[in-house]
Amino acid sequence: MQELRRIVGDAHVLVEDADVIVYEQDGSILQAMPEIVVLPADVTQVSEVIRAARRAGFPIVPRGSGTGLAGGAVPAGGGVVVSLARLNRLLGVDYRNRTAELEPGVINLEVTKGVAKAGFFYAPDPSSQAACSIGGNLANNSGGPHTLAYGVTTNHALGVEVVLHDGSIVWLGGTVPDVPGYDLCGVFVGSEGTLGIVTRAIVRLMRAREDVRTLLAIFDSMDSATQAVVDITAAGIVPAALEMMDKTTIEAVERGAPAGYPRDAEAVLLLEVEGVREYTERALRMAHEVCTRAGARQVRAARDEQERQALWKGRKGAFGALGTLAPNYYVMDGVVPRSKLPQTMRAVAEIAEQYQVRIANVFHAGDGNLHPNILFDIRVPGALDRVIEAGAAILRACVAVGGSLTGEHGIGLEKRDYMEWLFSKDDLEAMTRVRLAFDPQRAFNPGKIFPTPVSCGEVRRAPARIPEGLWI
Amino acid sequence: MKVMDRRTLVARLREVVGAPHVLTRPEDLVVYEQDAFLVAHASPDIVVLPGAAAEVGTVIALARAAGVPVIARGAGTGLNGGSIPVAGGLMLVLTRMNRILEIDARSRLAVVEPGVVNIDLSAASARDGLFYAPDPGSQGVSTIGGNVGNNAGGPHCLAYGVTGNHVLGMEVVLSSGEIMTVGSPAVDAPGYDLAGLLVGSEGTLGVITRITVRLLRQAEAVRTLLAVFETIDDASQTVSEVIAAGIVPTAMEMIDAVVMRAVEAAIHAGYPADAGAVLLIEVEGHVQALPGLMERIAAVAKRHRPRVLRQANSARERELLWKGRKEGAGALGRLAPSYYLHDGVVPRTKLPEVMAKVAAIARTHGLVIGNLFHAGDGNLHPTILFDPRQPGMLARVVQAGEEILRACVAAGGSITGEHGVGIEKREYMRWLFTEADLQAMRRVKDAFDPTGLLNPGKLLPDVMSSGAQADVKSPAFSVRPRAGLWS
Repeated sequence: MQELRRIVGDAHVLVEDADVIVYEQDGSILQAMPEIVVLPADVTQVSEVIRAARRAGFPIVPRGSGTGLAGGAVPAGGGVVVSLARLNRLLGVDYRNRTAELEPGVINLEVTKGVAKAGFFYAPDPSSQAACSIGGNLANNSGGPHTLAYGVTTNHALGVEVVLHDGSIVWLGGTVPDVPGYDLCGVFVGSEGTLGIVTRAIVRLMRAREDVRTLLAIFDSMDSATQAVVDITAAGIVPAALEMMDKTTIEAVERGAPAGYPRDAEAVLLLEVEGVREYTERALRMAHEVCTRAGARQVRAARDEQERQALWKGRKGAFGALGTLAPNYYVMDGVVPRSKLPQTMRAVAEIAEQYQVRIANVFHAGDGNLHPNILFDIRVPGALDRVIEAGAAILRACVAVGGSLTGEHGIGLEKRDYMEWLFSKDDLEAMTRVRLAFDPQRAFNPGKIFPTPVSCGEVRRAPARIPEGLWI
Repeated sequence: MKVMDRRTLVARLREVVGAPHVLTRPEDLVVYEQDAFLVAHASPDIVVLPGAAAEVGTVIALARAAGVPVIARGAGTGLNGGSIPVAGGLMLVLTRMNRILEIDARSRLAVVEPGVVNIDLSAASARDGLFYAPDPGSQGVSTIGGNVGNNAGGPHCLAYGVTGNHVLGMEVVLSSGEIMTVGSPAVDAPGYDLAGLLVGSEGTLGVITRITVRLLRQAEAVRTLLAVFETIDDASQTVSEVIAAGIVPTAMEMIDAVVMRAVEAAIHAGYPADAGAVLLIEVEGHVQALPGLMERIAAVAKRHRPRVLRQANSARERELLWKGRKEGAGALGRLAPSYYLHDGVVPRTKLPEVMAKVAAIARTHGLVIGNLFHAGDGNLHPTILFDPRQPGMLARVVQAGEEILRACVAAGGSITGEHGVGIEKREYMRWLFTEADLQAMRRVKDAFDPTGLLNPGKLLPDVMSSGAQADVKSPAFSVRPRAGLWS
């Protein structure tokens, strides 16, 4: 601790319970207390902190803004939490080659804000983008509503500077396409802080689109709504976003943040297309026809920016609005091939019935990325266990149709024991070898991603409080 | 470790894959001693053509027991010497594993064996209105396995990205002979991105036996524009400004005067033989959107004194325009008996200055360099024409090539855009990466291939003893002389 204070200054080492308790949780329902929290200011300090922590035998848990939903930033084995929040400088923007260089603590939305005037944006837009950091996005390979058209974080990360377990600083990747050698930048993106700490990143910027059009389609059955999703992509339209909300969510929205969605509808679909005007007009017309053919009761297109914002308002406020239905929720994150959406949504409904839980669905339908939110009341004895079992059943249903355990939230602590559903022993063994190549003592973020036979005694389940303004 | 003798190994291999699929006679092996990296060769000791993943697993386990290197090979069209068995050993030729196992039009993906020829996949998926986007110049012959090994690109990378952007998952045989599956057809597979790691690993981490790739929907309409310029500088400026204007064409290819003359003589594609450079620009999308886009591109080009701006009026005209580009390298045979095709990449904005440097390097060394390349990506292919029979010529060619790559790196670029590192550029890796960076890569190599028997001598430079200076003055293509591993 003395050494840490010497490295980063007294003010940036936290040890009192009252201070470190802030760092015991992220956006998941899991908690564990860190022993020490350190807030370094630059890469040299990060490197020295890692050396000092390793000499003292402490595990190291990197943390961005703590908005992760899988417990990835929860210090399951105690140790030193290294918060990167002070490394928050936008270091440079190269508009001609469309790249930005930044530190990991930069807030996602700040990147787009910083380059918007020049007509550019940073594409990955997790719903927590007003609070989450680029470093956290890299660690979790975050997605967002516009992932459908633009891909996830890994598609936009060109290079990273990382500090390894021995304090050495290396650059992985770079600004040119197809960097020679192994794609270690790609390995780091999505590694959830288990290989090292990212201290600088170069990301791709995209040019703002000439035109954006938004459409809301209202359906009387979930089946026809999911069919419309399949048909839209089959028709060759790649929307920038294609979001779905079910009846339970609509009810919550209309109670909490009214957006004018009809309460008796079974599902609404929000579709956005971007591009040159000639394209957006036609794509919107085609999408309109497809929705109508699939059985939409009504299709509304926004006529101006104000109407567009109104259509999105319900979607963006949906998560917070769930608080009007139940005191607690558990958000799941599964993904299935788009063509399996209709049958998977039916399976989710059956699971809700079987486990006697209420589920609100609000999700990235275009990607086949489900977010069933299980609503519950933590005070009801046995409710949390039932919720967790129902969640596991949903993920099993996703895997059974060729899908996966997570679309964008990562594995963290939450799903590490489910990894065996997806990967064989040999597969996991190969991943472990990569882990040990970088981190031979498993010092970085121990207990994450990989299935562990013994459960960590330090981890507690806590009910998620529904944060204001958070939308998933 | 008791090393298995050659005769025993060959006998076991014959049991595993069948006698006709194990080649050991010098006249059979000679076919496999070279790829499209024309300036080096080395003979394998044994060539094995397996028919299934399980066979690959057994063959690799046998090779490991015998302590013999294993080199995977597709169609042998690689340009960096990646499939040349520099240390001899057992070559695994995957061309028999050439089945398209599945095309799922609804989920837009295909599952293929590594020996499937690139263009055959696009042909097979065309029925469903789909195509496989990565289109290396060799797509009529090169295999998807080889494309994955080298993270191959192509003219349409500009819009669609390189091979790595289209691989969803794969089955791979590890150096232990174990078979592993990585990636998943769903987005963002959990855990480490091992599929991404294996793409571009040039056969140094494992042998790929099955690949799941993304298919794209064919665009509704395509327009192709030929723009002829007086100078290569005007053409380069046009490329930079088209992108700066926010337009991303699906392809933007440049052909210089040297190549143009060769192409005209060979196939009469309609390129003016006395111009400085032509640009081939292609846009794809919805019918209504294209005319406006073409006008904007033409407006940019007009600022740079184009001599001709011509749109292809029919599919036939379009094919003819492309034919000149696609057969450009072949047409160079009219100008010289051999060539050395380079592959560097620079930030697009540096194109004009780097092209001027390439011309200066050609003058200094008294060499003729033709340029045909993916200008939109900043991916250069300076092609040095030469006659290998002239004494001292090869050394001059290699020296000039090295200077070109140094110029790319100095401009903030890299030593390869799409052809990979292989044996050709492994020493140049030191220009881009520190010893610590390279050490991180070596740790990954050791994690997958602890005995170092998978494609040795490729991709990564040897560990440099402390204090030693990198020496890349002499051509780094030291290969084993033609002698058996056991002799």
